[in-house]
Amino acid sequence: AAAAAAPAVAIEDLFTSLNRHIQRSEFDLAVKVSDQVLSIAPGDEDAIRCKLVALIKNDSIDDALSAIQEFSKKSSIDFSFFKAYCLYRQNKLDEALESLKGQEGNSATMLLESQILFRLGKMDACVDVYQKLQKSKIDSLEINFVAGLVSAGRASEVQGTMDSL
Amino acid sequence: FPPAFQAVPRNPIVLDLAYNSIEFPSLESRMKKDKKGFISRLWG
Repeated sequence: AAAAAAPAVAIEDLFTSLNRHIQRSEFDLAVKVSDQVLSIAPGDEDAIRCKLVALIKNDSIDDALSAIQEFSKKSSIDFSFFKAYCLYRQNKLDEALESLKGQEGNSATMLLESQILFRLGKMDACVDVYQKLQKSKIDSLEINFVAGLVSAGRASEVQGTMDSL
Repeated sequence: FPPAFQAVPRNPIVLDLAYNSIEFPSLESRMKKDKKGFISRLWG
């Protein structure tokens, strides 16, 4: 029983320091501690998520993608959104869109989808997504919405959209 | 002279709003419990 309890305590300690690094935006240290948790508990979902988010917040997009590939082999967690975001950051837009397929249409996936569509020059499709997001009260959404409208050649709709937001 | 100011068209700004939706999971339940919990576990 003592042997089984020891790693549990160690993991609690590690998560405590992991949480502290996250609060302080020390993302490289957060990656390190996540790895320490994973060396004890390889499939720990919280540690996996922390590592991926820390890599992304640290702008280590290449490392995040290889970590996703690694985790996908031995975990049943769905990493499609993280993967799509990393591919978007690498400007692999078609692959990014592909990775978003089959995801539930929550505001995070819709925001990413609209940003990908914007870069692909599919402005009307991009604006369509922002129109659906209008009710979600997302901060600064109007900035991207207006960019989409203007780029779609629909600048005349900007005023009405701003009034309705 | 001087010439009048003119408006210059530019590309609209797009923010990476999707980045803001990438968040760490809550670790509250994974961290060390306070000492009282530990003592009461020892002494029942």
